Amino acid sequence: MTRDELQEKIVVILVDEFEFENPGFTDNLRDDHGFDSIDAIELLAKIEEILGFQISRKEKEKAMSIRTINDILDYIETIQAAHKS
Amino acid sequence: MAGNNPKAGFVDRLSDFVVTLICWVYFIFAFLFFFSFFYIAAFLFCKDRERAFQYIDHLFLKGFLWLLRVLAPRHKWEIDSEICTISGSIIVCNHLSYLDPLIFISLWSRQKTIVKTKFFHVPVFGWFIKVSGYLPSTTEGVHAKRMIEQVESMGEFLENGGNLFVFPEGTRNPDGDLGDFYKGVFKIGRMYRCPIHVLHLCNTDKLFTPGTFFFNTRVHNRIRMKIIGCTRSATGKERASAKELEKEVLQIFESHSGYEKKAC
Repeated sequence: MTRDELQEKIVVILVDEFEFENPGFTDNLRDDHGFDSIDAIELLAKIEEILGFQISRKEKEKAMSIRTINDILDYIETIQAAHKS
Repeated sequence: MAGNNPKAGFVDRLSDFVVTLICWVYFIFAFLFFFSFFYIAAFLFCKDRERAFQYIDHLFLKGFLWLLRVLAPRHKWEIDSEICTISGSIIVCNHLSYLDPLIFISLWSRQKTIVKTKFFHVPVFGWFIKVSGYLPSTTEGVHAKRMIEQVESMGEFLENGGNLFVFPEGTRNPDGDLGDFYKGVFKIGRMYRCPIHVLHLCNTDKLFTPGTFFFNTRVHNRIRMKIIGCTRSATGKERASAKELEKEVLQIFESHSGYEKKAC
């Protein structure tokens, strides 16, 4: 899956499931959209569905420091690459 | 009146002191010489430590509150009998006193709550709340792992009849007016689509007033806890947003606030 495809899916999820309004890729998720650790845990379950494999507990812990949509995309690409290798 | 009579005032204060002392004695000695053996056995031999610890916590605090009721008979307790039958639900309530979470734990054998992260660092107590499966309020450092584990297993916990009770204001607020809500509990409600029962509690602060060390056994008081509503939006097929759930809970609180203030 390309970054653009991922980006599209993530934005749809954030708007439909997490009540985001006009999300920007560099917005601070917590400050601008009230996105917190519980949201992050729910988003990780959605990401697992997109990727089709389970994310390890350690990788999930790293997701708690995500701040922007770009960070989410970087994070997904990193775990995708790790999973392939 | 005790205020005008120094001797009566002294006797009243002595009563508060003695009741508080007996309660502390229960806390320390019932734990050390009775419940600690069950905690140790549960820790060593139970497959589901979290469930066993919650059950022992429940019994320990049930005993504590029974003792407190006996020792402070001027405080009448009226707890809606239906509250004890709630299961598989999120429960939100206003927060008046440090007694409130103890009352909630004494009501259900399977319960969890969200605890301020700093309490996880308190020796002994922190360990107990970890093993009992309570959730930290933040995810810094080592708490990220705990939060992920607890939130991910919350669905199973609720399906098996457990209750997650939360004081959405996050702190004690004896003024009566609702403060701002933390959103976490509504996000968990959104995630697991479970009912959110809204409870109203009054007058626990008259028995154990914030900022004081002793129980106030002198006043005639009525401690009441009742169910004032339950969210509908989370239990349908449609997924309710956290904002909708928060709004619904706020409306339930507000629609009962006038009545409750009079009743309290």
